[in-house]
Amino acid sequence: MKVLRLKGLTLIIVLASAWLIFGPMAALAGDHPVLRVSLQAPAGALKMGDTPNFLGAVTNLGPQPAQGLVVYLSLVSLAPGDEHPVDLEDWSAQKAVRIDRLNSSATDFRNWGMRLIASGKFGVALTVVDPREPRPIVSDLVPFEIQPKVTLVAGRVLPVAIGEPLLILILFAVLRFFHAGYKCRTNHNGERLDSNG
Amino acid sequence: MNLLRPLIGKEIQEDFRSARGAFFLVVAALVLSVFAVLLVSNTELSLLDNAQAVYMMAGIVIALAALVAVLRGSDGFAGERERETLEPLLLTPATGHRLAWAKLLGILFSWLTLFILAIPYLWAVGSTGQNLFAAILYLFLAGTLIVLSFGGAALALSARMKTFKGVLSLGLTVLLLLGSPVLLGPSLRQSAVGRVLDLVNPFAAALNTLDSVIIDSQGLSWQLLRLAVMVSYGLAVLWWLYAATRRLEP
Repeated sequence: MKVLRLKGLTLIIVLASAWLIFGPMAALAGDHPVLRVSLQAPAGALKMGDTPNFLGAVTNLGPQPAQGLVVYLSLVSLAPGDEHPVDLEDWSAQKAVRIDRLNSSATDFRNWGMRLIASGKFGVALTVVDPREPRPIVSDLVPFEIQPKVTLVAGRVLPVAIGEPLLILILFAVLRFFHAGYKCRTNHNGERLDSNG
Repeated sequence: MNLLRPLIGKEIQEDFRSARGAFFLVVAALVLSVFAVLLVSNTELSLLDNAQAVYMMAGIVIALAALVAVLRGSDGFAGERERETLEPLLLTPATGHRLAWAKLLGILFSWLTLFILAIPYLWAVGSTGQNLFAAILYLFLAGTLIVLSFGGAALALSARMKTFKGVLSLGLTVLLLLGSPVLLGPSLRQSAVGRVLDLVNPFAAALNTLDSVIIDSQGLSWQLLRLAVMVSYGLAVLWWLYAATRRLEP
């Protein structure tokens, strides 16, 4: 009886081990492509006005080629208390691409560039949608911080904004003053009137 | 040319001697000033990239230029007709074509004045950024073609229609129609229909040229199609103006 129990236990252990070892491989060997997506932030500090590239990679781990994949970038502001999605249109970023075909074991590397137009804490992630799969695959969120850069200097803008309309008004006042004076000194034919005339 | 010179002089003098001309220049400067102050006083706007600020400022200048072109073009013949000053003009040896040419040059001179007014503002918001010189150059090019198209079209309408109000209403409606897709934002213009409308709309062509040059730092080869669209409109409007002023009625 003990031998039978031992054999049964051994069989269970062998079967469990086989499932653990070959299960994922069997899943990989199915007819569905298995995708992995990752995103890498550029090295170094980022500041406003920079146009860094985030390196995205989509790998097909399955045995079958993947077709019609849609890959898109998502950007979120992570400012504490003001977390919100960011419209990539304003950041001149490439928002989405379509990968026609990704062969088995192949990796699609792509640079996702954007112009940094605001400062603060942000996070970016890459999502892959396989039309044959019910769930999109999302990369890890890549957090990054953008240092502020004041681009418009009030000391340069304000003198122009205040000075130019004033200058035009003064110029017109002077022109009208001289024109009125000229009219007083001439008759309607433009001839000069002297004190005796 | 001798006959043309006093006519052009009369049109240009209106910009500097008349109260209307002074009013236009002051209002144009105030609009640009208000926008410039808004850029530096608003926290988020003050962090905008210089190129973005220059592009926005250039867009406002183009819109102002188109508006002024429609206003002055509408007044061109219809206004003279209402003030009963067109008949004496037609009694002079000046032909309808010469009058139209003088008035169109007057409108272009107004644009040149506005452009010169705008340069200090562009410098103030964009001197530390990218593409300022290219922005000024392309603003001049695109602005001249837009003013030629809108001003010429308004003048041609003005030569045919009786009242200033009628021409102005029609001109402003067309300007709004052409301007409205641009106001909708780029995302709504990504469809095939949106792209075609964008391509055939001279106002959109001007703004897209500025966007491409100032923000995306793209060269002349990228602008050729859009410039060709604007030049085509300019030439078509010149031909229309020529045909409309062949026989002017007081």
